[in-house]
Amino acid sequence: MTALEELKGYIRPLGESVLAILIGALIGAIVLWLSGYNAVAAYKALIQGSFGSLGNFAETLSKSTPLILTAITFAIGARTGLFNIGAEGAVYFGAIAAVAITQSIQNPLAGILAGLFIGALWMLPAAVLKVYRGVHEVISTIMFNWIAFYLASWLALQVFENPMNPNSTLPIPPGARLPLLVKNSTLSLAFVIAVITAVVVYVIMWHTKLGYELRTSGLNSRAAEYGGINPRKAMLWSFIIGGMTAGLAGALQVMGIPPSYSISQGLANVYGYGFDGIGVSLVGRNHPLGIIFAGILFGALNAGATLMQQTGVPLEMVKVIEGIIIVAVAVPGLLDLFLKPLRRGKA
Amino acid sequence: MEERTPVLEMRDIVKIYPDGTKALKGVTIKVYEGEILGLLGENGAGKTTLMKILFGMLKPTKGRIFLRGKEVRFKSPADAIANGIGMVHQHFTLVEVFNALENIILGMEGHGLFSKIDVENARKKLQKLMDELNFQVPLDVPVEKLPVGTQQRIEILKMLYRNVDILILDEPTAVLTPIEVKELFAVLRKLKAQGKTIIFISHKLNEVMEITDRVTVIRKGQVVGTVKTSEATPQLLARMMVGRDVVLRIEKPPKEPGEVVFRVENLWVKGDRGEEAVRGLTFEVRAGEIFGIAGVEGNGQSELIEAITGLRKVEKGKIYLKGVDITGKKPRDLYDMGVAHIPEDRTHMGLILEMTVMENAILGMHWRKEFSKDLGLINWAKVEEHSNRLIKEFEIVAPGTKAPVKSLSGGNQQKLIVAREVSKKPEFIIAAQPTRGVDVASTEYIRNYLVKLRNENKAVLLVSADLDEVLQLSDRMAIMYEGQFMGIVKPDEVTEEQIGLMMGGVKA
Repeated sequence: MTALEELKGYIRPLGESVLAILIGALIGAIVLWLSGYNAVAAYKALIQGSFGSLGNFAETLSKSTPLILTAITFAIGARTGLFNIGAEGAVYFGAIAAVAITQSIQNPLAGILAGLFIGALWMLPAAVLKVYRGVHEVISTIMFNWIAFYLASWLALQVFENPMNPNSTLPIPPGARLPLLVKNSTLSLAFVIAVITAVVVYVIMWHTKLGYELRTSGLNSRAAEYGGINPRKAMLWSFIIGGMTAGLAGALQVMGIPPSYSISQGLANVYGYGFDGIGVSLVGRNHPLGIIFAGILFGALNAGATLMQQTGVPLEMVKVIEGIIIVAVAVPGLLDLFLKPLRRGKA
Repeated sequence: MEERTPVLEMRDIVKIYPDGTKALKGVTIKVYEGEILGLLGENGAGKTTLMKILFGMLKPTKGRIFLRGKEVRFKSPADAIANGIGMVHQHFTLVEVFNALENIILGMEGHGLFSKIDVENARKKLQKLMDELNFQVPLDVPVEKLPVGTQQRIEILKMLYRNVDILILDEPTAVLTPIEVKELFAVLRKLKAQGKTIIFISHKLNEVMEITDRVTVIRKGQVVGTVKTSEATPQLLARMMVGRDVVLRIEKPPKEPGEVVFRVENLWVKGDRGEEAVRGLTFEVRAGEIFGIAGVEGNGQSELIEAITGLRKVEKGKIYLKGVDITGKKPRDLYDMGVAHIPEDRTHMGLILEMTVMENAILGMHWRKEFSKDLGLINWAKVEEHSNRLIKEFEIVAPGTKAPVKSLSGGNQQKLIVAREVSKKPEFIIAAQPTRGVDVASTEYIRNYLVKLRNENKAVLLVSADLDEVLQLSDRMAIMYEGQFMGIVKPDEVTEEQIGLMMGGVKA
């Protein structure tokens, strides 16, 4: 496949996603306006806060890092015909694993490998239940997320707690921290690792036999079986790779974010990314490369929210806008409503 | 003929899709009251598009429609139905868990959200309708539990219940067994006797010859001509339909079969509901021979194929390929051992419709060395070469190797499957319903190709519900009935009557 032709295939979904983002922004503005805020000032602050300076942009990329990885978890699942929302739990354990192993092996690679491994391991029960007992992955992964939350909370507070600071776990030792890319920011090598992961996953899904088998199983499991592919094995792989990227998100979140380099109380700095990743994946069209951009968009919204707050708009408003964007992408009919007049114009 | 006013006329209908495809290039058809008009054409000729325009599902780019001399334009199917035009689609539009009665009154329950549905009145009206037509469907059984033929009758009843007097049937026989087709034709004749007008869309010559009064032939979005069925011959219609003489006869030189390639011994297979679908079959297929299995569908053919292709568990018995026991082997191993399988269900098994031609061209062989690079990578450049080779050799009409397979017509989809399976370089080919729903030209191509494989000394197992196909292609044939063979015969040594008896369960 020539690069140009491959590119052509992306234009339409890209256009649709951009349109959805614009619709989200527009409706968001209306909501702001109806709530009595100055929408223009708020949006200015939002853009300023996310792209306005090198420091702000660094913050955007830093915030996008875990989202890209958890979105990939969901995307691989979706491409294999699964609705895997278990990234959340795997993130916690990826973080715990990184904290634990780097206490003895002071090397970032050890933390990364531990995150990948534990993330995959945590996904296995849900995978086995689905593949061999037919338990629906939505049910099992939601339940496992809660088990993960309390188990990880206990590990963080009791086993790996920091005797010097009861509000967090032991920090990642300096030798295992990821180098910062921009001074005085929280942007570290973690972002680069996330982008590389996305590219690797893209290559796996579209350029390897494994990826071919995963996508075939996801689209048509009867045809897969006929084609000598074992759909059960494909599902198992989907859970494992997805668990790995989510575990990696957790590990990077503690190894690459100054100043604490630790898990804070109530898992606050690793909480919620698994769920936000679902939205990022949808906006990125369940495609690893699209997800990089969608992740940066959501990172920007989160990074810019702080400055937007200073215009009097509450932080939560950003979540409202995020929500509207996701709905705009997810509801094809809504998009058609806007696209139809355009198409008619062309015909 | 031109003296009478047609009850329905579609004049100069043009349909151009937004992507520039000209589906219809100025089609005019006339339908007279109380007749059965056949609309004949290959897959993709524009028959269905034309009828969807009539039924208000598509907007024509240009053209006018006259109903009883008055110009009309329907905005929706509901609008068409209100004007007395009903359509039964190829794919049914029934709610599977509802029973027939619920399905038929769906959308006519009354308007208030909480208004009471007058079920009893509906039941009486339906019963009267059925009595008039002299056919019955069970009104209280969920439709998913009913045979396809019955479901189709429910669709027809649904339209009649809405008092339509022009009925469009889109490829109504595609999903029916031969017996169900006979029953459907009986119903259509009765409807005609009652004065209903019927438009019968088909690409099957024999059916059009049997049931219609006149035939309008459409080719590539244009009307080729309209003839009285009584003055037509299948050869004439075929020529009009494909624009050239179709060799409906297949050239098959005599050939001595070679050694046994495939052998089944006392095979027992269970069906989805645990019933004994295949009951102790024993047969063999030799090199250079086409062994055909005929019979009414649902007599265990599907289970037999699935068992010998590794997709279904074998309960009892043995399967051998070139003397090697392959019982219970996985599809992947079978392909590597020289088995190819053209599956009966093209869209759910043979192809992944959303994937590209390229991706489909390697299904079941994607692990082979020729398509691989290091690290488990697929060599897409080689796959593309392979796809282009298949497209060229089999004259597959496709927008490109990267087009999704669903953008191909049914005939070309089927050709792609045959091309792919043959490219596996098999010794033994299983062809299940290889030409079902495929246009005449592709059918001819595929049938000739199966004969070519036989001439090249391959062993071919042909399973088909199309009796003519089995008779025409097979060197030996079996007739399957309730999981058993009623007899294994040579097609030229058997009469139609004998086959009919065996299909009905009488041993030869």
